[in-house]
Amino acid sequence: MINVQDIRDTARDMLTKGEVRAVIGYRRGSRGMLAEPAFITDPAQAGDLVWDPTCFHNLSLYLVEDRKFLTHVRKTANAPIAIVAKGCDARSIVVLLQEHYFKREDVYIIGVSCEGAGVVDERKLAPHLNGFQATNAAFDGDDFVFTTAEGEKCLPAREVMADRCLECRIPFPKEHNIVFGEDKTGRQLAEPFAALTRFETQGTAERWDFWSHHFDRCIRCFACRSVCPMCYCDECVVDSITFPVTTETTAEDKANRIRWIERSAVRSENITYLMTRAMHLAGRCTDCGECERACPVNVPIRLLNNKMEREAREQFGFEPGASIGGPSLVASFLDNDPGQFIR
Amino acid sequence: MTKKRTGVFVCHCGTNIAATVDVAKVAREMAGENTVAYTQEYVYMCSEPGQESVVQAIKDNQLDSVVVTCCSPNLHEKTFRDNAQRAGINNFTCEIANIREQCSWVHNDKAKGTEKAIKISRSIVRRVNRNKPMDAIAVNVTRRAMVIGGGIAGIQAALDIANAGIEVTLVEKQATIGGRMLQLSETFPTLDCSQCVLSPKMVEVKRHPRVKLLTYSEVQEVTGSVGNFRVKILKKPTYVDPDKCKLCDECTVVCPVVVPNEYELNLTARRAIYIPYAQAIPASFTLDESACLGLNPIVCGKCKDVCEADAINYDMRPETITEEVGAIVVATGFDLYDQENMPEMGGGKVEDVLDGLQFERLCSASGATQGHVLRPSDHKEPKDVVFIQCVGSRDPAKHCAYCSKICCMYTAKHARLYKKHVPDGRAYVFYIDIRSGGKGYEEFVQRTMEDDDTLYLRGRVSRLYRHNGKIKVLGTDTLSGQNVEIDADMVVLALAMVPSKGTIDIAKTLKIGRDKDGFLAEAHPKLRPVESVTGGIYLAGAAQAPKDIPETVAQAGAAASKVIALLSQSTLSRSPLIAKVRRSHCTGCGMCVDACPYTAIRLEGGKAVVNEALCEGCGSCSATCLRAAIDVKNVTQLQIHEMIEACLA
Repeated sequence: MINVQDIRDTARDMLTKGEVRAVIGYRRGSRGMLAEPAFITDPAQAGDLVWDPTCFHNLSLYLVEDRKFLTHVRKTANAPIAIVAKGCDARSIVVLLQEHYFKREDVYIIGVSCEGAGVVDERKLAPHLNGFQATNAAFDGDDFVFTTAEGEKCLPAREVMADRCLECRIPFPKEHNIVFGEDKTGRQLAEPFAALTRFETQGTAERWDFWSHHFDRCIRCFACRSVCPMCYCDECVVDSITFPVTTETTAEDKANRIRWIERSAVRSENITYLMTRAMHLAGRCTDCGECERACPVNVPIRLLNNKMEREAREQFGFEPGASIGGPSLVASFLDNDPGQFIR
Repeated sequence: MTKKRTGVFVCHCGTNIAATVDVAKVAREMAGENTVAYTQEYVYMCSEPGQESVVQAIKDNQLDSVVVTCCSPNLHEKTFRDNAQRAGINNFTCEIANIREQCSWVHNDKAKGTEKAIKISRSIVRRVNRNKPMDAIAVNVTRRAMVIGGGIAGIQAALDIANAGIEVTLVEKQATIGGRMLQLSETFPTLDCSQCVLSPKMVEVKRHPRVKLLTYSEVQEVTGSVGNFRVKILKKPTYVDPDKCKLCDECTVVCPVVVPNEYELNLTARRAIYIPYAQAIPASFTLDESACLGLNPIVCGKCKDVCEADAINYDMRPETITEEVGAIVVATGFDLYDQENMPEMGGGKVEDVLDGLQFERLCSASGATQGHVLRPSDHKEPKDVVFIQCVGSRDPAKHCAYCSKICCMYTAKHARLYKKHVPDGRAYVFYIDIRSGGKGYEEFVQRTMEDDDTLYLRGRVSRLYRHNGKIKVLGTDTLSGQNVEIDADMVVLALAMVPSKGTIDIAKTLKIGRDKDGFLAEAHPKLRPVESVTGGIYLAGAAQAPKDIPETVAQAGAAASKVIALLSQSTLSRSPLIAKVRRSHCTGCGMCVDACPYTAIRLEGGKAVVNEALCEGCGSCSATCLRAAIDVKNVTQLQIHEMIEACLA
């Protein structure tokens, strides 16, 4: 079990000594039990940090935001930034490091093991609470315990845990500077890719109906893109609104900007957007599940990303975010590649 | 931007295109394109009058760009770009729309074929609209060559290049040059002694003033491209100074280590210090580091003690040599298919079941038995010998799909050699077909059957195993329809030829492609059979496909002539169609660096930078980049977008 005080002490200590310029972690939010991202620069506030099963945000997003900000104001960081990272989040950081988005010394990873639990899926929890709001969530090693106005409610982890946590193969941040909690890799509650496998038992027609339904509902709010640490491009290939105009942008560039996708939220354009995103995340997505959680209309985006992840795993034995020096999926090839044409 | 004046030239290719595509309609449709100023169709656009008409039309109509809708750009892109240049416009404003391989040849329905041809042509017209005129990049040529592999192919290629006045480095992995041919006893169909034919060439290559011979050396890394390669070679230490070694053989007498002799295909043993063959070049002993007790006078040091010439030096170290060359010939040869893959043939575990090369060593006067055919197990003369052809070859279900080409001939040769050595012996040959195409080959096989009384059985062997001191061979004679059982004293397997391990390794190092069977891929099966898919790298010998000695020598000569032609120019023109980074979009993720097969991209200040001398314009980087930050010139994102749009319209 993780004692949250250890995380607070570490954060306070590092901030006091000036070893890091900020700590990105979780604190109690303003809405019931849920945690929210916290950006702590004052050692006195280190006590606000929390660690519980509602810490679902992938905070590595803010490392990306931080670098974007620094680039924008043309400054370099004088000290690293510390970040609380779960297994999946730490793998995201590794992918960012693989892609040279920042340097290893720019970040201090405070790893936290999920210890075989994971995070709560609010949508799964709601029906269990009889309309009440939970004010606190905890994990006792086997079950989740929620505090509501009715009192404490104990629920088996597998009933309210997020799907990706049920299927998680590596709930431990291998890449870290310091780590809290035990490595309980192997204690997974569902087969990897269980939801995808279940989904794929259906026929082509059913699957097409399913996706048509969801693609029709996407409102292209781009919440999935905004919440994703891997979607850090200045200009998104599907969206010419974010076209970056820099000193190096020529008049011809401006005139010839390509609109691969129309802006209207209709099925054909939505398909292209979501499919392109899945392709661009192949080998990079660490299944932190934030895109699906952030989606206001509940498009099951993880299924798309999972599909790519499973293909990469089955075809090439590829594990995203496994090591900083490791190869990237699309830029490397194996001598025993299953496709003969490439050898 | 002033409006382009594009000319579209639609080729019928006889009926190759015209049978499935309404070429007149394609031309009419293209005439309706905004930027098209002229269209024309012709039965053979690549013919002399066809080409002239293109040149004339460009001049007469003030065209500034050209689309030829015809066959693959592989065939005629250069033809028509040259024509564009002759007509006074930039050659890179000419593009090919492939409506043959990508359309007429793969479709039957003329209406749909025409529709597709129109889409393909239209997309290229749109692409050409944004093509930029460009000038070829001129690069200096390093007038030196390298040959990798010192078998007959490599020796021949090195000699031919050197005789044309060009310096050559010949790199051989083994302690001696000579390769597989040096292991052979006699050669078909003349039965002349293999070593006698080869050794004069080995001596010549050794003494040639323009050949630098690096034996016991391996190519480790190759960078650069056609005209300017930089090759890193590891020269392993032999611990014997070849200039001092007197070949007195005293060292092998005292060496206490005995290991299998790979040059005799493990039929005999050798010492840790050894000479592969009496004819070895360089003529010197080699101390096998992996077998030696420790290269240390305290541990052993016997060889050093007896060496009067003081040729042995334990302090020799591996040496890395860097060579700059303009062209490379790869002649890394073949191995035999591993017997372990053939459990029905004993899987390499049944005694006295030999492969073809082992039998060569048994017959060879310099071999293990001084040229007497004796069974390895008991050194007795075998009286019944079964030769089995197509072992591993022509078996797409389980082994190699291809025909190894030389086995019919060398099995006939083996049978004859055997009968010469053991006149009262009986030779049996199991075969599927006899393939004896070649000068004097068929007559040779016939003589083996008739004069030497060899029993040819048409059929396959299902199993063989040890039984009462003999090898029981179970097979079928499909001509009589009977099962055959032979109690043999020895079995010789004509195993399939496979690319050597060195060939597989060098393909990776040089980044040249291999075909589906693993042999080195030629650039075009008919028209460019000695060129690899990478410019400046040529192929010779069995590394490219199974072949016999005359063919190997011919191919080596052909590869040499290509090298000579290339290196006779002082500068080369490189295609300017290379990758270009859009710095504003580049985040420096480095995926393109990993994806580039030519190591032409590096990161500098957090952005990708293309080395123009190395980039081949393959587009791997462009396909990999998530941010569309790297384009190949004249195949930009915008052009691709407009091409897709043209196809979907």
